[in-house]
Amino acid sequence: MAALESPQPAATTTAMRHAFGNVLSVLILVLIGVLAFSIRLFSVIKYESVIHEFDPYFNYRVTQFLSKNGIYEFWNWFDDRTWYPLGRVIGGTVYPGLTLTAGTIWWVLNSLNIPLSVETVCVFTAPVFSAFASWATYLLTKEVKGSGAGLAAAVLLAMVPSYISRSVAGSYDNEAVAIFALIFTFYLYIKTLNTGSLFYATLNALAYFYMVCSWGGYTFIINLIPMHVLLCIVTGRYSPRLYIAYAPLVVLGTLLAALVPVVGFNAVLTSEHFASFLVFIIIHVVALVYYIKGILTPKMFKVAVTLVVSIGMVVCFIVVAILVALVASSPTGGWSGRSLSLLDPTYASKYIPIIASVSEHQPPTWPSYFMDINVLAFLVPAGIIACFSPLSDSSSFVVLYIVMSVYFSGVMVRLMLVLAPAACIMSGIALSQAFDVFTGSIKYQLGGSSNSTDNAEDTNNAPKDDASAGKTDKGEEIVKERSSKKGKKKEREPADKPSVKSKAKKKALVLPLETSIVALLLLIMLGAFYVIHCVWAAAEAYSAPSIVLTSQSRDGLHVFDDFRESYAWLSHNTDVDDKVASWWDYGYQTTAMANRTVIVDNNTWNNTHIATVGTAMSSPEKAAWEIFNSLDVKYVLVVFGGLIGYPSDDINKFLWMVRIGGGVFPHIKEADYLRDGQYRIDSEATPTMLNCLMYKLSYYRFVETDGKGYDRVRRTEIGKKHFKLTHFEEVFTSHHWMVRIYKLKPARNRIRGRAKKLKSKTTSSGWSSKSEKKNPWV
Amino acid sequence: MVVQTNLSSRIFFFLIALLFSLADSDSDSDLINELVSLRSSSPDSGVIRLYDDDVSKFLTSVPTPRPYSLIIFFDSVNLHSHSKLQKFRREFGLVSSTFISNNNNDGSNNGTKLFFCEIESTHSEASFHRFNVESLPHISLVSPTTENLTECDQMDGGDFAGLAESMAEFVERLTKLTVGPIQRPPFLSKTQIGIIVALIIISAPVLIKKILKGETLLHDRRIWLTGAVLVYFFSVSGTMFNIIREMPLYVKDDEDQSKFVFFIEGSEMQLGVEGYTVGFLYTVVGLLLAFVTNVLVRVKNLNEQRMSMLLSLVISFWAVRQVVYLDNWKTEYEIYPYWPSSWRH
Repeated sequence: MAALESPQPAATTTAMRHAFGNVLSVLILVLIGVLAFSIRLFSVIKYESVIHEFDPYFNYRVTQFLSKNGIYEFWNWFDDRTWYPLGRVIGGTVYPGLTLTAGTIWWVLNSLNIPLSVETVCVFTAPVFSAFASWATYLLTKEVKGSGAGLAAAVLLAMVPSYISRSVAGSYDNEAVAIFALIFTFYLYIKTLNTGSLFYATLNALAYFYMVCSWGGYTFIINLIPMHVLLCIVTGRYSPRLYIAYAPLVVLGTLLAALVPVVGFNAVLTSEHFASFLVFIIIHVVALVYYIKGILTPKMFKVAVTLVVSIGMVVCFIVVAILVALVASSPTGGWSGRSLSLLDPTYASKYIPIIASVSEHQPPTWPSYFMDINVLAFLVPAGIIACFSPLSDSSSFVVLYIVMSVYFSGVMVRLMLVLAPAACIMSGIALSQAFDVFTGSIKYQLGGSSNSTDNAEDTNNAPKDDASAGKTDKGEEIVKERSSKKGKKKEREPADKPSVKSKAKKKALVLPLETSIVALLLLIMLGAFYVIHCVWAAAEAYSAPSIVLTSQSRDGLHVFDDFRESYAWLSHNTDVDDKVASWWDYGYQTTAMANRTVIVDNNTWNNTHIATVGTAMSSPEKAAWEIFNSLDVKYVLVVFGGLIGYPSDDINKFLWMVRIGGGVFPHIKEADYLRDGQYRIDSEATPTMLNCLMYKLSYYRFVETDGKGYDRVRRTEIGKKHFKLTHFEEVFTSHHWMVRIYKLKPARNRIRGRAKKLKSKTTSSGWSSKSEKKNPWV
Repeated sequence: MVVQTNLSSRIFFFLIALLFSLADSDSDSDLINELVSLRSSSPDSGVIRLYDDDVSKFLTSVPTPRPYSLIIFFDSVNLHSHSKLQKFRREFGLVSSTFISNNNNDGSNNGTKLFFCEIESTHSEASFHRFNVESLPHISLVSPTTENLTECDQMDGGDFAGLAESMAEFVERLTKLTVGPIQRPPFLSKTQIGIIVALIIISAPVLIKKILKGETLLHDRRIWLTGAVLVYFFSVSGTMFNIIREMPLYVKDDEDQSKFVFFIEGSEMQLGVEGYTVGFLYTVVGLLLAFVTNVLVRVKNLNEQRMSMLLSLVISFWAVRQVVYLDNWKTEYEIYPYWPSSWRH
């Protein structure tokens, strides 16, 4: 309030306040970074510094390879440890962004003589990048609605549960860096749109390149930005800045994207990218129209417009025809299954069991929103409305972003992750506007009428002058278009000008004092609730590494470290070239931790191969032995939770094995495993179920534990309790029986008379008759 | 989803009389010819509409084995408001037309071994009794050897689910005739596509002109705003979940049929009404906040401001509390703060 003393030093005080504000902003941002990093450390504190879950183990293994052998070896890496006997070309089938990032960090730290292990770097990559993501959110929101909203959005993003779930320490997966890349690409796009600078346009293409390197979700960017461009054109908001923001991105971005081996020519050949090319053509037609409009008189323009429109339409039709022909020539219309299930939500559940079987591809119910974005769900509508008053190029982009992402998140719960930044931005805008209005009202009324003019100026930082700014916006825009190079300067003017003009109006825009205070308190309470929820979610819900399990009971904490125990057993007690078969969920972990060859893993690229394993698990012992033997398998690993009540074990996943197996080998029928449509393993279960390999391997000797064979997950006594294995032998069962490993018994010696008998017997079963002559699974 | 159709009881005095009537091989081919002509004159994909007299003529009065099978769809105009029945009827027509087109031109006389028929309840109530039809949808296959109509093969609930394809499978399983892949008519016929393309081409210049002038609905911000908020509302209500899983809006209580259940426990599932209620609560708070910060600040009257703001605050507070309560109830999570350990006792 020093400004009151005399009018002269007012200018310097304002400058001082600006400088002070900037320093404060930087300080707040640093704190936000610390918050974003530290809230993700619960997993390390509560458990230990380990890599989590399944996919991160693969990424970790790739990073290890990269740091040991260098980048060229990495590009050419053919991995013979997975998908036996097919193998997998890692360099060409992996998004390299994450591994290259972590590899670079490790290399830099090592050259600075900071000797961190590769594992430590991998564990902490995600928390570090979530701090970056919060800063990127600040930048993006600042471009849209000013720095107040930016800070609010950044602090919300730093602890939004949906993002935490994918970026706790140890969760070393693509999304960890991709969300940062996504937000940063959007920021650079908006920045280019606001400034019209080619410098930012180039940076934008580079950020897009990083995103393409990191995550398949880059198709979201390359569809969202064209949609926004089209929206701007259709609503009459075309400007040269829009052209500069879009055209270089498509040209440079597509060229760069094609450099990533896993994308390659897909960047120009698949339907996911066609929208961008179509809009690229449209924006050129529109640009031409505007150019001609500029150089011709209105009369001449009318003549010209007919000409240009007809030519443009012809071009468009030709392109559309080519696209339609191209799309029609590919079987799924050029769309990948995952994208198709976004457009037609019922697609995957009907046709692709392997997509439908993954729990993160299910549609979410309303509690998921409350769990993952919490109170932001309440604030988003207010943010949307704030973006409409006034609607600018940048605010229309964030509105489009929230609308698309909220729709997609409704189809697949996994895409909640893409929604989270949008929800944070919107809520940040809403919160900052609300705080502006409420604190403004309080300040105005407490300060009295004498200094009202001055206080009014304080409050009009961002949202309140928007209404008047909106009016002047159109007039300004024409000026802006002419001098896009000076865009930077022009951009600041509309924010300054109307504040002077509308000073008189401002006095009326206040709310009653008491209610403002109440509203402010309620908002703070809402924020506090958000913090409590996020900390709880980070600590309790999302920090479990799922490789080590804990449970809290009356007699203290129990730790179940069975997975690592069994992988260690495998690596110590089996030959280095032995093949281990398990359901695909455990493939990555087996290769990374036990260093043994697996048949299928979490990179579900070959449905037939997975179906073969599914079929073996669903077959009776002998048929299963033949399938596994034909695949050179020596050990079979099953995960069993019945003893300690671990629900995501193989018996619970078994129906998917049947479904996926039956999709390729029709003699496996789901109905054979169900009694009256119900999946059960008690005495009511079907004989097919009780005789299949999965049942036998899971429950072998189970009755010896408690005498009754009570399964704690299914909450029932098992159907078949006493049986012997004929073709498999148990070699290892972990401490809590969670992992059981069996060895295939060697083939029997051929005895003349017996072999004949066997042959005539087995020809009745479809499997063996084939495998006698030719092996169909290899 | 079984529709109960109660039919009043009657006595079939003519049934016994007809049972004794005789038929010879000539009349067999006559009957087939008549069925074929009925089929070709049928307006709707070759499904023959049978009345009570026809049932006796083609089924009960013909000695077994009959030279043909009939597959009968039982329909009721009264229940057409029930959309599933109409859907089944359409699928049935599809199977029929596919069967005819696949079997009529191949030289063999398979096309005359199976006829697709329908019986409508208001016109042929007696037949419903004769087949002992109690609930719809009901599809029966009368094979050549069936004597007692109440014992003919009935398509069970499982076969209804997959529609035309599963109906065809049912027919193929029992008759050993091939239906072939179902030929669905394209979503839009060729003429319709032509008209649409022509309309687009004609209207394109006008539209482009309007867009250039900036006077379409697209330029109205309120429409975009409403659209955005609506998409948000429907998404957070879990509408997609309801569509994909085909969840009903509400279910009836197992114990007390007169009670409705709108909310179910467990975060894996939700009902339609439940989703929309919470979606509304999610949305209303934001809308009220926007109302206060954008509209209410411009109101001149202080008391009006005070009252509406208080009201908005109370509603918002209630909505948030309600969602928190519902969430805790549904997911059974207990959210607790992590206070510093020195604060605990």
